[in-house]
Amino acid sequence: MADAPVIAFFPEAGFGAALTCVGIANALRTRGARPVFICPPGFNGIFADYGFQEYCLPLGAPLPADEDWRAFGRRHLPHLNLSPIDQIETYVAPTWEAIVETAIGAEAPLAALLTRLRPDTVVLDNVVMFPAIARAGCPWVRIVSGAETEIPDDAIPPHCSGLATGDREGRAAFISRYLKAIAPAHGRYSRFRAAAGLAPLPPGQFLETSPDLNLLLTPSVLRHDRARPLDPGRFTHLEGAVRHEGPFDLPSFGNRQGPLIYVSFGSLGALDVALMQRMIAVFGKMRARFIVHVGAWRDAYRGVPDNVHLDGWYPQPSVLAMADLFIHHGGNSGLCEALYHGVPSLILPHGWDGHDNATRAVETGTGRKLHRADWTEEMLITTIREMFGDRAMRERLASNATVMQARSGADLAADRILALASGPRPSGG
Amino acid sequence: MELNATPSRNGRPRASHRELAQRILDHVRERGLGPGARLPEQALARACKVSRTPVRAALDLLVDQGFAQHEAASGYRLSPDFLPTSPLAGPPPGASDADLAGRILRDRAARRLDDSVSVGALMRRYGCARSAVTKAVARLAEDGLLVRAPGQAWVFTSLPHAPASQADSHEFRLLLEPQALSAPGFRLDPDRAAGSRAAMTAFLNRPDEGLDPKDFQALDTEFHGLIARGAANRFVAETLAQHLRMHELPGATRWVNPVRQRQAMLEHIGILDQMEAGRFDVAADLLRVHLRLSQDSRPRAASRGAPPLPKPGMAGGSDG
Repeated sequence: MADAPVIAFFPEAGFGAALTCVGIANALRTRGARPVFICPPGFNGIFADYGFQEYCLPLGAPLPADEDWRAFGRRHLPHLNLSPIDQIETYVAPTWEAIVETAIGAEAPLAALLTRLRPDTVVLDNVVMFPAIARAGCPWVRIVSGAETEIPDDAIPPHCSGLATGDREGRAAFISRYLKAIAPAHGRYSRFRAAAGLAPLPPGQFLETSPDLNLLLTPSVLRHDRARPLDPGRFTHLEGAVRHEGPFDLPSFGNRQGPLIYVSFGSLGALDVALMQRMIAVFGKMRARFIVHVGAWRDAYRGVPDNVHLDGWYPQPSVLAMADLFIHHGGNSGLCEALYHGVPSLILPHGWDGHDNATRAVETGTGRKLHRADWTEEMLITTIREMFGDRAMRERLASNATVMQARSGADLAADRILALASGPRPSGG
Repeated sequence: MELNATPSRNGRPRASHRELAQRILDHVRERGLGPGARLPEQALARACKVSRTPVRAALDLLVDQGFAQHEAASGYRLSPDFLPTSPLAGPPPGASDADLAGRILRDRAARRLDDSVSVGALMRRYGCARSAVTKAVARLAEDGLLVRAPGQAWVFTSLPHAPASQADSHEFRLLLEPQALSAPGFRLDPDRAAGSRAAMTAFLNRPDEGLDPKDFQALDTEFHGLIARGAANRFVAETLAQHLRMHELPGATRWVNPVRQRQAMLEHIGILDQMEAGRFDVAADLLRVHLRLSQDSRPRAASRGAPPLPKPGMAGGSDG
């Protein structure tokens, strides 16, 4: 009997990518493959809890202490309130520098690990390419678990811009400023690639598409028309890839009633306790029940209203299956999960493709957006009320959910990955 | 403020009564008593080193749960259908929605109540009479969950499921549970072990959709309770039992994904195999591994371009 194909997942150090990969890896496991995880630092244990073998990359430096993260919060939380174009220099460019630094540090241990592991396929869910993957001697798959804008096209808004479709003037201004700000990081990354024998990428790009298989989460309801359509031979649209997390019992809300609203701004958004507290104070005045993800900072909250339940972790897909509205930061995984369950999104983006998703949700009538901090109590309440009254949006979402649920993105991804893994190995590498 | 620590006979059982009822059941099993056997209050009080009053309350709890019967003329007896492997049902005090102590704990876990509360504020919040609130406060104080502060205030103690306490709770269990198991004199209750194994096996046979985190937690507590109760050192046994009870409190359910639920049950069964074979050292080693694997390893924060912030007590996010 042939050995089970080894599929090595390498997600970036974020919950969205990590849990998207878990969903696809589950589907691969049921098909007899052996999915394993190359663990980004700090994420070891996450994948083992889902029953997968983990291989940890050695740390270049110790993980940050609380104080480092508080400093990160102090430095960047104000930046999250800026417009997308004003985040370029303050938030996006420094983040790219950190990403490039991480990629360079990971290269040698990653190459050594892949040599030992000899996977049949590597699945990369990240925003940067690691040359060791291109040279691993096996096909590699790119998962785009972020917004579709990650793969540029002249007809769609630039990544992280939050621009409306067709805003040519805004597009030119954004791209010009973006390329200038990230040029140092891109230059360093280009030199790194060249030293590793990889061809340079166009300005602004840090990750090429796979020559073999690229999997996009973005469902058709959000998709743009591209000037250069993606080759269906290499690009597969998954219509989301929502994992199942088992049952979730609703907490007690005392005698408070009303629609169920799930609120999560991810672990980074949860750092902004003051903003969350301001929002929770408004929630307390509404006739609705709120489940609020507050990350690791639950102890910082006081006087939480009875119609609000907060905790450090919820099985998001299971909660969304019961929710009537999702208030979030525009992370693509969360948006896809909401769409899968026919739940409208109220997006208050704080960075990266959250801006793109917020704009796209409005354009496609699947959600609304607000500035993350610049809102009044009346604006927030009115927006939520209007969303509950928007019958057309609900019908559109219900119809789309039927389409997404009929097509399991995780199963489709697993089938495509297995087909690639069982094909001939590339001669190069 | 006057507090009456004695609950009504018709009220929910206090933690101490439930614990005593468990000790009586353990005593019954150790002696091999069967259906219909007499349960004399005086003898049980002597065996459990308590007075007759709490023994009577504990026996009433056993009657409520069908383990025993009571007749005015002949006192307490084991029920005709008594099975030594049946576990004592029922959550700790306050697990019912209707129970005020439970609502207080649940609301505390959800940060609806602040660190400090007063009886007056609780009366207003829950619309309850002073007597009901003082009774609930007394119950929580008895279990060490509330302590009196200067003035009219009561202060919540640290709960093991609070974010700030999780690492300490994990380390505490890692220190004490394997030690309890491998120390000389450890005694496994074979009937309870059989009951626990059967319940865990049935749980494993459920489909993923049927793996309820609350059921998982109840089975987890029952299994680890076997170890606490088996400790030869009474202080270790009591301390562990008290700590485990804290994990059962309302609002304490930690969400665990179905895969990890299954893994944990299989690990329990592996430990049980070794315990039943009398290889307590091996069981203690497996228990240590199980506890490490059970630690919540999710980083507290993760963001593109910033290294994840590990859980407290998890250097580098690893088991260390």
